[in-house]
Amino acid sequence: MMSLTLEQLDRDGAIREAVEKASGDTRAAFLGKAVVGGAALLGALAAPGSGEAATAKSDVAILNYALTLEYLQASFYTEAERLGAIKGKLAPIPPQLGAVERAHVQAIKAALGRAAVKRPAFDFHGVTENNSKFLKTAVAFEDLGTAAYKAQAARIKSPALLAAAISIHSVEARHAAWMRFLAGAVPAASAFDEGKPISQVRAIVASTHFVAARPKSRSRKKPKFTG
Amino acid sequence: MRRQRAKGEEQLDGRADATASSREQFLARAIVAGGAVAAGGLLVAGWPRLGTAAPSAAQDAKILNFALLLEYIEAGFYSDAVAKGKLSGDLLDFATTVRDHERAHVAFLKGALGNSARRKPKLDFGQTTSDPKTFTSAAISLEETVVAAYNGQAGNLTKPTLAQAARIVSVEARHAAWIRALAGKDPAPNATDKPDTASQVQADINRTGFVQSG
Amino acid sequence: MAFAAIAAAVIAVVVWPQSPASSPASNQPLGLPASPRPALLVPKPEPLSRSSALSYWASVRVAVAARSAPTPRAATVAWLARTTQDGTTNLVLVLDRRVDRRGRLWVHVRLPVLPNDLTAWVPRAALGVYGTVQTHLVVDLERLTVTLFRSGRPILRAPAGVGQPQSPTPKGSFYIRDVLTRYASPFYGPVAFGTSARSSVLTDWPGGGFIGIHGTDAPQLLPGRVSHGCIRLRNEDILRLRRLMPVGTPITIR
Repeated sequence: MMSLTLEQLDRDGAIREAVEKASGDTRAAFLGKAVVGGAALLGALAAPGSGEAATAKSDVAILNYALTLEYLQASFYTEAERLGAIKGKLAPIPPQLGAVERAHVQAIKAALGRAAVKRPAFDFHGVTENNSKFLKTAVAFEDLGTAAYKAQAARIKSPALLAAAISIHSVEARHAAWMRFLAGAVPAASAFDEGKPISQVRAIVASTHFVAARPKSRSRKKPKFTG
Repeated sequence: MRRQRAKGEEQLDGRADATASSREQFLARAIVAGGAVAAGGLLVAGWPRLGTAAPSAAQDAKILNFALLLEYIEAGFYSDAVAKGKLSGDLLDFATTVRDHERAHVAFLKGALGNSARRKPKLDFGQTTSDPKTFTSAAISLEETVVAAYNGQAGNLTKPTLAQAARIVSVEARHAAWIRALAGKDPAPNATDKPDTASQVQADINRTGFVQSG
Repeated sequence: MAFAAIAAAVIAVVVWPQSPASSPASNQPLGLPASPRPALLVPKPEPLSRSSALSYWASVRVAVAARSAPTPRAATVAWLARTTQDGTTNLVLVLDRRVDRRGRLWVHVRLPVLPNDLTAWVPRAALGVYGTVQTHLVVDLERLTVTLFRSGRPILRAPAGVGQPQSPTPKGSFYIRDVLTRYASPFYGPVAFGTSARSSVLTDWPGGGFIGIHGTDAPQLLPGRVSHGCIRLRNEDILRLRRLMPVGTPITIR
């Protein structure tokens, strides 16, 4: 990518002036800060809204938080589908919701790259093997996911990330309503849904004891086999 | 002499403003919309966003009034359907519950807007509320439109207002999934919900013919 | 009747009637831009890959008595420990599940105990993390080969050393329990897999007499009946197996 300085681009000083008004910086201070990435600047001129480059640290943290919840949901539905113990009218749910949550996981992992947290191991304590426990847990997960995304929306700095989070948030709400519908509960219990802050969500997830230590299956001990 | 932009001034919405210093204002918009002049790949945080589409109290009021119109339509639609007495069973439960929710949304938005709140529009739902099948189709379309409308404006709101709008949009999404489930349709066919622009929403609403006068 | 049906269908289809030209639009457009392109590219949701040959394993969470039937009143068949003799997490193969009269979930599992091929029931609550594998290892004691299948298709075949007649490799259904690496012992080669199979003759062997699948410092003996029960592979083959065969893979020795 070609690196340009503002001087090279800005013969008549119009860019510089606009930048100064936006930031209150003096010209010298601004130019002293950094070299403009040419493609990024051209991108900002060509298509407003597409000029963002790096992601704020708080946005990275929010993404990893969302990823943890999506791992939980995706692993739950995937295990339920693999074990094949969910029957009857609920049988289509693990494949369908699992596919969507796995897609969410992929999207967030792709955005985070190496900054993505690893998927934990899960012990679902039999809820993926029992119709009514599965449904109760699905209701809880989807309500929780909706509340979690909701509470983070106003904290997201990047407009593009907000757009993504908002469009996932309403899908989680659909899932919640659907699971409640199947459970015979009112799909929308109240005119307003409340968000849940990170601390509360973490406490709820911890209380399930679903997040488990990965089994230790490797060892450097000397083999004791018969040989 | 540069023209000062008044607070809450109507946006240029794409039309060239021949009287202003075009390039400078264009650059101001580009820089603001891009978040910053990207400097060495770093997003320079904290630069105030100027000009077009920057969240503001005045802009919030415009968006909330638009939302209030949608909520008036929904509240009226469900009230009319319940009053006409042609729904029964699960569909009636749905319409009654959702009517109460939409009325609560209207009350909330009126309260938030105070004297700025738009007045209640004159509505006519024709035959859509007289028959379970047409009611169901219309409810699905209405809820989908409203979800897309809120999602489309989320980024234009100030953060406190966004937090409130988020409490409403997920309920509208629940409504959408609920009525779709009642209709035997997939409640959540997509991995993400597409946002609509205000113009798209306006066009959808116009097509209904529900609104007789503003 | 047909006319009424058509009329009803027409009404159902026409949801958004064209508004008359005289009916006013309610609001001017806001003039605000569309949402930015979302930062997350959510791909089209994909179904899980179909596999005709899935097996399931579970880690042992707490030591528990394994019973002959899915009820606490059934006889104890074996004791299931939490860890293996290698210090790794003990695993069982999951075969089936049943709910007892009190609503507790029981799991039918294959055990790493003698006699070989033993299965029994344990409460789900005693198990922990579940895993799924698509692989299956077949050890042929007549042909002296190992074949690794994935989703029913062979992906690795190698010559093997198996037990001598006086210390035979047991026949039956087993599974991979753990994998040992980076120990310094050329006799076992670079990698050794622990299985649930045990020698039925070397019952006093320290560590329980478990059968391993491992490399060797005497590849010239393969294929052959050369071991105390273990399955020996050439080192290049055990390294390939390491890449292709996850822990929990079921084993058929025939």
